[in-house]
Amino acid sequence: MVKQLKQGRTINALIEFISTGYRIFALQKTDSTYHLVAASKWDGNRNTLGPYRPVEPLKSIMLPPRQGVGQLLQDEQPAPFTPIAAIGVKNCDLASLKIHDYVFRDSEPADPYYKEIRDNTLIISCDCSRPCDVCFCTAVGDQPYAQSGFDINISPLPGNKFIIESGSEKGKNLLDSCNDLLEEAGQDAIKARDAARQAVYKSVADQAAVKGLDNNKNYQKAVADSMESDLWEKFAEDCVECGACNFVCCTCHCFLLADGRSDTDTPARIKQWDSCLYKNFARVAGGANPRKFRAERLYNRFDKKFNFFPQVLHSYACDGCGRCIEACTGKIDIRDVLRKALDEA
Amino acid sequence: MKHNPYAAIPATVENIIAETSNITTFTFRPEEPIPFKAGQFIELSIPGLGEAPFTPSSSPAVKETMDVTIMRVGAVTEQIHALTKGAQVGIRGPLGQPYPLDKFKGREILIVGGGVGLAPLRALFFALVEEKDLYKKIIIRYGARSPGDIVYRKAVSAAWGNPQVDLLLSVDKGDETWKGNIGVVTTILENNKLSVNIRNSVAVVCGPPVMMKFATIKLLERGYSPDSIYLSMEKNMSCGIGKCGHCRIGPFYACKDGPVFTYDRIKDEPRIWD
Repeated sequence: MVKQLKQGRTINALIEFISTGYRIFALQKTDSTYHLVAASKWDGNRNTLGPYRPVEPLKSIMLPPRQGVGQLLQDEQPAPFTPIAAIGVKNCDLASLKIHDYVFRDSEPADPYYKEIRDNTLIISCDCSRPCDVCFCTAVGDQPYAQSGFDINISPLPGNKFIIESGSEKGKNLLDSCNDLLEEAGQDAIKARDAARQAVYKSVADQAAVKGLDNNKNYQKAVADSMESDLWEKFAEDCVECGACNFVCCTCHCFLLADGRSDTDTPARIKQWDSCLYKNFARVAGGANPRKFRAERLYNRFDKKFNFFPQVLHSYACDGCGRCIEACTGKIDIRDVLRKALDEA
Repeated sequence: MKHNPYAAIPATVENIIAETSNITTFTFRPEEPIPFKAGQFIELSIPGLGEAPFTPSSSPAVKETMDVTIMRVGAVTEQIHALTKGAQVGIRGPLGQPYPLDKFKGREILIVGGGVGLAPLRALFFALVEEKDLYKKIIIRYGARSPGDIVYRKAVSAAWGNPQVDLLLSVDKGDETWKGNIGVVTTILENNKLSVNIRNSVAVVCGPPVMMKFATIKLLERGYSPDSIYLSMEKNMSCGIGKCGHCRIGPFYACKDGPVFTYDRIKDEPRIWD
């Protein structure tokens, strides 16, 4: 059932109520950007649902940048994870979970460390109320509002109104316990939500169109067919191999499995974010390297996102969040690369 | 496989055989058996120092111990070569896909090895010999740099000297003791050195990338179809379970879909020989 706040009730009261007992990850505004910040509870003065996604990708919760995965010779299971609520999750981040779920949860053997956090994360998503200037989710077939994958979704409407919907059993039970705060949404409110969603969709689509991208483009074919093009050389000239695009990307999942010693001097194994732009990413002992040149590594990044994942999961591993555009030291714009690939293919 | 796929089964070094100046065969005894099929690989780790992928070279029928033949080429193998009897290591596995022996039945199996690449082929050989009546013929063509670089010398002269096995060796550079063929491994794949019913044969190749490349070209030339040439792809297989992303070849992960691929599946991917 689609719900709305009762007269006189606030969204802060609702979020506080449904996230009680959870640690939270929520958005917080700093200068002109929004960050994903951990806290013990929701604070309406500090936290916000935010108009668009934060700087940090949602994966940083389920796949911490650096995570211990046991002592190697003991079959340890991950420590129980205290449940968290991720609040204000935007659809690009939500959509990215299909990649991580496929890699870490649904492909055997499952990664128990991912699963433990994933299973214990309540997702409270929120429609985008406007795009940031690098958003292009509509051009890769997504939309700036969630349709599935959330426990609870909040749609902000003009006039400080909200539509609230559950997307899972867990979410439904939570909303059912909020009878003091919620009531069934009227048709007008639902219409207003749909209109608000269409308006934001159009803003994103319009700015993607300026870059020559839309959801009718076949990026898989464009990337596959442009492998031999010199476009990769040209864009790679500006790449400094910092790996920022991989680290801020909501879908990039590659990691380094490294061995060392713990503080107590026992053998410890860690999983740490890795970057396919690093020179030795694919190198083997003895020195052979199938991607010696930066252009090959840059191509590989696009091939993985737009050609590999469509083949194994029928989905691009890009949700148009635009974080890599903001993070790139060399000002390489993924939209320009895709446009060029479409032209050259 | 453990519940935690990043955890390894403890194993001890039971025996060490120096094969050549830089290749050594280690016999490991794991705390619990690690039943593998020929072609599957393991991740071998020295606790706290590092891990690397290897394919066992012993018979898959032997469950209690496992031989792994290792060439000293990098940081981890340097540490492994420094191990002594009784040392503790970790083994994760078995990982990857085995050779599809069902498809080999009734056929002539041509095994082409180069250098330390003979290691996984030795496990395959043992598996074939175990059920030798199921296969029409076993042919081995092995190339090494010099007579001193030939691995499994004892095995080559004894167990491999099975009359049902057509074995031929070659070295790139001979010495005063060498009476066999001299030349790269492709020279013993020529018509006059290799009599085989290609239509009813599969070729299984493992060795350094450049050797696999030229062996594949030669086999294609001789009439092998791309789907009858099995190649061991040496890629950066790190997690071994298709998650860390390092060993991707096109739509595949070498660790999960391989490490053995028929040539037709990977021939259009870039730089497969690097």
